Amino acid sequence: MIRFLEISNQTLFWYYLASNLAYLTMLIIAVKTSALHQHRLESHRLSWIKESPMAPPITVLVPAHNEEASIRVAVRNLLELDYPQLEVIVVNDGSEDRTFEELREEFRLRPVRAVYVPEVKSAPVKGLYRSEVDAGLVVVDKEAGGSKADAVNAGLNAATSPYVCVVDADSVLERDALLRIMVPILADPKRVVAVGGIVRVLNGSEVEGGQLRRVRLPRKSIEVIQVIEYLRAFLIGREAWAQGNMLMIISGAFGLFRTDLVRAVGGYRARSIGEDFDLVARLHRHLREKGADYKIRFVPDPMCWTEVPSDLKSLARQRARWQKGLLDVLWPNRDMLFRPRYGRIGFFALPYLWLFELFAPVVEIIGIATIILAAVLGVLSREFFLQFLLFGYAFATVISMGSVLQEEITYKRYNDWKDVVRLVSYCFLEHFPYRQLHMIWRLQGLWQYLRGDNVWRPLKRKGLASARVQ
Amino acid sequence: MGSIFEKLWRLSPAAFVLKAIVVAIVADGLLLAFILLRRTYRKWYFARRDAHVFELRQIWEALISGQIPYERWRKKPFDRRIIESIALDEFETAGPEQSARLLKFLRASGLIEKRIFEARRLTGWRRMRALVALGRTRAPEGIPALAEGLRDRDLEIRLAALRGLGRTACPQAAVEILAWVGEVGLAVPALPLQSALIQCCAERPQLLLPLVQHAEGPLREVLGRVLGEVATPSLGLDLLQFVADEREELRAAAARAMSHTEPNLAFEVLNELATDPVWFVRLRAIISLGGLGDPRAVPTLLQGLTDANRLVRLRAAEALVGLRTEMAPIFQHVVEIRDRYGLHAYLTALENANLQGKLEAELQASTKITTEERQRLESVLQTGALPAEEAATAERIPDKAGLRP
Repeated sequence: MIRFLEISNQTLFWYYLASNLAYLTMLIIAVKTSALHQHRLESHRLSWIKESPMAPPITVLVPAHNEEASIRVAVRNLLELDYPQLEVIVVNDGSEDRTFEELREEFRLRPVRAVYVPEVKSAPVKGLYRSEVDAGLVVVDKEAGGSKADAVNAGLNAATSPYVCVVDADSVLERDALLRIMVPILADPKRVVAVGGIVRVLNGSEVEGGQLRRVRLPRKSIEVIQVIEYLRAFLIGREAWAQGNMLMIISGAFGLFRTDLVRAVGGYRARSIGEDFDLVARLHRHLREKGADYKIRFVPDPMCWTEVPSDLKSLARQRARWQKGLLDVLWPNRDMLFRPRYGRIGFFALPYLWLFELFAPVVEIIGIATIILAAVLGVLSREFFLQFLLFGYAFATVISMGSVLQEEITYKRYNDWKDVVRLVSYCFLEHFPYRQLHMIWRLQGLWQYLRGDNVWRPLKRKGLASARVQ
Repeated sequence: MGSIFEKLWRLSPAAFVLKAIVVAIVADGLLLAFILLRRTYRKWYFARRDAHVFELRQIWEALISGQIPYERWRKKPFDRRIIESIALDEFETAGPEQSARLLKFLRASGLIEKRIFEARRLTGWRRMRALVALGRTRAPEGIPALAEGLRDRDLEIRLAALRGLGRTACPQAAVEILAWVGEVGLAVPALPLQSALIQCCAERPQLLLPLVQHAEGPLREVLGRVLGEVATPSLGLDLLQFVADEREELRAAAARAMSHTEPNLAFEVLNELATDPVWFVRLRAIISLGGLGDPRAVPTLLQGLTDANRLVRLRAAEALVGLRTEMAPIFQHVVEIRDRYGLHAYLTALENANLQGKLEAELQASTKITTEERQRLESVLQTGALPAEEAATAERIPDKAGLRP
């Protein structure tokens, strides 16, 4: 038993070290890549893209389910985005409230028989409408499909542009978001097939007429901690993975894809829990199997702001869902692991996700259990344990501070001193008890999935109410 | 000598962890100090800069007219950077008169000379910055320095030089780009090259012809696409050589370009290209035929309505709706061809152009069709469906390409 505990604790130590070293490596890559990106942007003036006749058309797809409170403002903002050739398709996904009526009144919709070819599966479409106010706006009214993926698929069938950008109806986009996300595509249109945009936390910021006026840190601790998590995940994780062409997730709140490829892989998987991750995994698989020379890129410029859960219950549900989504994608794609055909995806990206994302809560709980058991049996070196704890704490703080530093040296959207001080403070405070709670939520997610509870459920959001609406 | 892993192992976890703690705490401290110091410095810097921008704005007219001697600010890098950035920002949105004035100022103050010098002498990011600034001035004297930038080893610098040349939008820059492309081939991604060439060749598209004729592979496609964008009627006969080119991209470019040439010549050629085996060549031909607005194109466009490709059908429908001719006979033909997808595309185009009412009125006023036929057409227009007996026939029409929808 004692031998088992020793081995277990040693394994935990090396696992934890490897996990943090991986993140440290990603931090170094991300800092370097961000600096390069900033330099590159100097030669790529966004106004030049706007004027270019070569900028390909984009269709923005907006799935909307019961969004009556914010749909007018959201769609108006999308129509005002800076981009030369823009089509906006709002998919009313069987809303039970006045979402459709709001759209019809605001944009004077008239029925059209636009050629809707159901190339990818979705719930039946009741009608198609075009705005008399702005010919670039099309509304697809469909029966509820039970998932966001189903709604996006309907929009995909109506899209007429070579690129589609999927956007959440309750997200706030910066005016130049599309110009920025197109930069990698315009630089290498043959190879870049998808681009992920950064998603930042909207809670606490000042919003006027649906547009972001001033970025502020949210008031609640739970929201501030999520700000740090988002910075860490996007500015370090995704930036570094994309650099190695191993980006596995493009956030459902803001991502750009080549339309023909999304159609070729059958669109979004309607029953998927993590539909955004699932789509990117299938794109990798499809392109690797074809032996295509392709790139999936990430743009770290602040572009999309979205609301995050502001209470523990919603956050717990969201994180459990993310963990379920992770397993829901990793399991069907397990055949990609360590197969030369799938290259770096099979050898690095997927094993990392299995080991340090999916199994992380399991390893953590086993670690805690064995440490307690070792303490009970008197075989735990108290000195080593405390040192290990302190090391883990300090190391994790370095990573969080690194993400704040990334934000500071690149985009610097939190201009208020108070916000920065709070942000830095939470880098030290997020580890207890948030991290442990997070572990429990993720374990719950795994447990729910294994018990067969794998139905997609939307989260309840406040809309722009979480921001300080002017 | 043992490996690094052996050394780590010999340290034993406890000793290793102790050292790691120290390193991590020091790293935390350094990061924190860096963030705070950087913030403080930037706060001071931007306050100073804002104040200075305000001061310079107050005397802006005197500055650009030369009333304030250039020597007074040229040797102060901080002032020079601000003035240059204000001038270049104004340049982006200025009209012809103001542009000429700003360019005169940039020349007289030596700012352009300085950027030319930097673009030639500096390396790395600093060279890139100089090339971008030079491109933004659109000064023809910057073209040789920008052209030298095209030969840099770094892709980002080549791209900056290319974009800069594109901004100048003059044939001289096109000559430099084409000479470089002829020399090294496709050394940058296609899109920035196309954008730059479109801007520079708009005035003299003939510049492209020799290189398009001799280029091979992807470069030929890229140049063909540019030709398609910038072609003018003066190129008419020269374009004919690409109509039967073995590369479909070039045939598509020719189809695109033909819409800018003499209508009679274009009509014949586009009719031929509208039956090309490659869908995007047909698409381009149909769009160009629509652009010509010639009623003689109706049979070809009706044929386009039954195309196996969705985009070709849509564009053919748009072209038919866009023709400035009587709509009723065309609609009669659309119904007669008994193609559900074609009818659907036509009705969509009609609705998008908001011309449904006009067609209804024409149908009612038409004396050339019988009452029975009129009722039939009105019913199709309102329901969007072919009459029952005809729909059954439509179902029997084989899908030759096997590609529908």
